[in-house]
Amino acid sequence: MSNDRVTSTPFTKGLGFFVLLGIALLIILGIFVSPADVNQGESVRIMYAHVPGAWLAYLAFVMTAVSSAAYLWKRTRSLTWDRIAGASAEVGVLFMGISLVTGSLWGRLTWGTYWTWDARLTTTAFLFVTYIGYLAVRGLGGTHQQRARRSAVLALLAVLEIPLVHFSVELWNTLHQEASVAGRGTDVEMNGLMLFTLFLGVVVFTLMYVWLVLHRQRSLMLEDMLDDSGLDHALSERRAEATQAGR
Amino acid sequence: MDDLGFIVASYVVTFVSVALYARGVLHRSRKAARDVPRDKRPWL
Amino acid sequence: MSESDSPDDIGTSPDSLDLSPREPSARQRRQRRPWLAMIVLLLVVAAGGVVLTKFLTSAIDYYCNVDEIGAKEGCEAGRRLRIQGIVDVGSVTDNATATEFSMSFGGVSLPVVYEGEPGGIFKECIPVVVHGILRDGVFNGDRIEVKHSNEYEAENPDRIVGETDKGSECSQ
Repeated sequence: MSNDRVTSTPFTKGLGFFVLLGIALLIILGIFVSPADVNQGESVRIMYAHVPGAWLAYLAFVMTAVSSAAYLWKRTRSLTWDRIAGASAEVGVLFMGISLVTGSLWGRLTWGTYWTWDARLTTTAFLFVTYIGYLAVRGLGGTHQQRARRSAVLALLAVLEIPLVHFSVELWNTLHQEASVAGRGTDVEMNGLMLFTLFLGVVVFTLMYVWLVLHRQRSLMLEDMLDDSGLDHALSERRAEATQAGR
Repeated sequence: MDDLGFIVASYVVTFVSVALYARGVLHRSRKAARDVPRDKRPWL
Repeated sequence: MSESDSPDDIGTSPDSLDLSPREPSARQRRQRRPWLAMIVLLLVVAAGGVVLTKFLTSAIDYYCNVDEIGAKEGCEAGRRLRIQGIVDVGSVTDNATATEFSMSFGGVSLPVVYEGEPGGIFKECIPVVVHGILRDGVFNGDRIEVKHSNEYEAENPDRIVGETDKGSECSQ
């Protein structure tokens, strides 16, 4: 058995190739080709990692909620949904972390500070911490079904924070700027090449997300099967003992 | 330029953390797969 | 498997029930670590508490606009404020210890004295948030944050910076 092909398929391999290609292209466009901003200068280049990270984190958490709903609904109940939810939340936490760190660096350059407690930054920090909590709840133990039900309920509650985070910049005065692309206004006030680079960033992060979730979901399945087989093994041992003792 | 360090750092943080996470996932699956027969993996 | 010969009924007779701890088999040794999850969960609750406290102790609006001083709740003169305004053209003067400028918003202008050199991308015609106290009509700032807008425009190397903008109103 070839060990390096545990969770990969021809599809994920092809996807992986495009991910690497996309990352290379994003670095070239983001750091070298796209223009500097009239106000922010070179620091605007951090946007191409920061904004897609945040968007894909939102998407990952929404995906966690959708999969959790699919688990809770009796007709579609399957542990596969639970594992997709878990994998998606993990990747979401990773992307949110990336967005927080890159945002902090960007903030130091433009605002003059790494961190401040304005409504956007605070709600984002809270969202981040909530999903770390979600992952901890998944690790509390019990049967797979107990884990799935518990975390599914939590995921459906946690996803309600996302609109609060996204619209915090419009609800309150914040240091963080308002959304540039998915904001209330319909006009996008952005240079064409900048917008294209941002779009490429979103595509690259989406591909990374799919690759990571597919692999993580399969690795979670392997771990679940390992738990089950451990349980089977223990049961059969006990049965053997019991049969012996009964004679 | 001062900004350059910050910009490079943000790209490095982004892709290195994704790479480390991906490596961790592959490592964990490899460990778990030792005891799970190949015919039980629906994606193969 | 029929019910009668099923070995599942272990424990029905007291003699067959062995409650002594067993050596874990190799497979069982891969256990979940709930204690780790519980520690993480405790930390998460603590961190969530810190974030909430930070949020509740600072105003939900990060700043007051210049024209809201004395007009909006929480923006009373005399208390510590964070004021947002756009730096007026030609108003910035640096001397040895302080930076002086005026900023306006909504048609109201406010003179600011800031001890030190502002960081970030501070310049004219850009929105800034100044932390400090209003004394005798002058805002004494001790922290400046530059609030850049969500407009992104390519830097044009052919444009002569400062020449065309000078003396005119901020174009944005």
